[in-house]
Amino acid sequence: MSLWRTTAIVKRGLFWVVLALVMVFVLFPIYWMLTTSFKEPLEYATRTPSWFPHRITLEHYREIWKEGAYRYFINTVLVSVGATLLSLGIAFPAAYGLARFRFPAKLDLIFLLWVLLVRMAPPVVLAIPLYTTLQGMGLLNKLTGLVIAYQVYTLPYSIWMLLRFVRDVPIEVEEAAAIDGASKGRTLVSIVLPLVGPGLVATAIFAVIMTWNEFIYALLFLRRPEVFTLPIHISHFITEYEVLWGPLMAIGITSSLPILILSGYVQKHLLRGFAISFK
Amino acid sequence: MRRLRRWSHRHANLLFLLPALILIVFLTVYPLVRVFYLSFYRYNPIRRIERFVGLLNYQRLFSDRFFLTGLKNTFLFSVGATLTEVLLGLGLALLFNVKFRGRKFLLPLVIFPMMFSTMVICAIWRSMYHYDYGIFNYALRSAGLQPVKWLISQDLALWSVVLVDIWQWTPMAFLILLAGLQSIPGELYEAAKVDGATGARLFRHITLPLLRNHIFLALLLRSIDTFKIFDKVYALTGGGPGTATETISFYIYREGFRYFNMGRASAAAVVMFLAVSVVSFVYIRQVWRGEG
Repeated sequence: MSLWRTTAIVKRGLFWVVLALVMVFVLFPIYWMLTTSFKEPLEYATRTPSWFPHRITLEHYREIWKEGAYRYFINTVLVSVGATLLSLGIAFPAAYGLARFRFPAKLDLIFLLWVLLVRMAPPVVLAIPLYTTLQGMGLLNKLTGLVIAYQVYTLPYSIWMLLRFVRDVPIEVEEAAAIDGASKGRTLVSIVLPLVGPGLVATAIFAVIMTWNEFIYALLFLRRPEVFTLPIHISHFITEYEVLWGPLMAIGITSSLPILILSGYVQKHLLRGFAISFK
Repeated sequence: MRRLRRWSHRHANLLFLLPALILIVFLTVYPLVRVFYLSFYRYNPIRRIERFVGLLNYQRLFSDRFFLTGLKNTFLFSVGATLTEVLLGLGLALLFNVKFRGRKFLLPLVIFPMMFSTMVICAIWRSMYHYDYGIFNYALRSAGLQPVKWLISQDLALWSVVLVDIWQWTPMAFLILLAGLQSIPGELYEAAKVDGATGARLFRHITLPLLRNHIFLALLLRSIDTFKIFDKVYALTGGGPGTATETISFYIYREGFRYFNMGRASAAAVVMFLAVSVVSFVYIRQVWRGEG
């Protein structure tokens, strides 16, 4: 009896030790970013960095604000909200159509297959022709150009997400509307839209996260500092200034905050959102 | 005219799909055709060169040391990161499948890393990996050990980049596998326990077989994703030291957008697309079955 008890206690103890180790591994880098952003350079640019900030300073946050990091912030908001709205506007009717109608020549199936394949394809594969196309349209170095390029990510993603949400809407509701003489377009806007509302919001949030963090297209299609997005600004920071970590971490924290807040709203959709989204 | 109206009435449904269809064709079908086409050309938009060269780009590609190393590294990175992430994710999922106090609070924290932008993550890890000022080497020196050349050693750099990917994306494997674990009905375990099965045998004969699909899904998704590895290489090592962290994506980027040798880059892109498509098809077939 007592042996059984001891093993139970050891097991329990082991469980908590492993859990603690996991949490340290997961949280330490975030802790490190947070504390470095409040440290004075003496405490991080040294062979003996401090584990806790001894003196807390807000200097780095003031500095990045003064140097105009808000510009990159605004650019990022414009691009990611723009790309998301455009995608939802196009993807919602498409998802509805795909969920409810049959199309000639299996168009719907082929389309869906293609959308999935694009979702998997490496973005860099499309980069060269997209670059020349955007150049031809005069959209290189323009936020509009990036909004269009981001449809490569967000459109297939939104269609696929919304398709599942639309399928969850019971068809009887629409049939009732049809009997009352509502057109397909009207049904879509005034019956289906409110019902898929929460799904639409979740999809929008994931699309914003995806485009907020996107790197490679922003790097390739925006080459003038005044149109930089946050990830591009950060990448320049990383590669050009070896150890200016205070301001770097400050901008890292500030640029992540909106995403962390948004992600709180989609906790229960995380699996659905990411299992097909993986950038 | 009447026939046209009848046709448009019959195919009004197409209107719902049309904008998406047009944009997808414009953004993906056309570029893929074009990249395939360009791979047979010597193409430099800066120097305005566009000349048909047949298979030359492909021949050059497969005798290019950088590309071949990139291919090898991409493969090592993808396999190393995927296996570790799924294994750790499984361990983590088993841990969080236990009901304990504080679980509700810790669960969102575990998922934290995959919310950050890769650039922010690279900033953190690059500072921690720093040879002189990094916290890792400080800890090693404090413990009386030799400091490690995390990002500047030929042998280690690739695995240091892998570690960052593991930190960022293990949560994803974890989420998939946790969902899998929670879909296993508890009665199965009860029944097996009545029959006298314990810990390890329960895991081998109930958990693993029932989790097979989820493990497969996590492996597929992570391998497709890690195969694209670009931003971490760009921000952490720049492909170096030497060719130690050269990858296919990075090769395409450098050939195409630094040297503007876009024909060669296109050939590499075609090879990459075909390679990813093979794995993608397996995934798509799986998804397709699930969708019915």
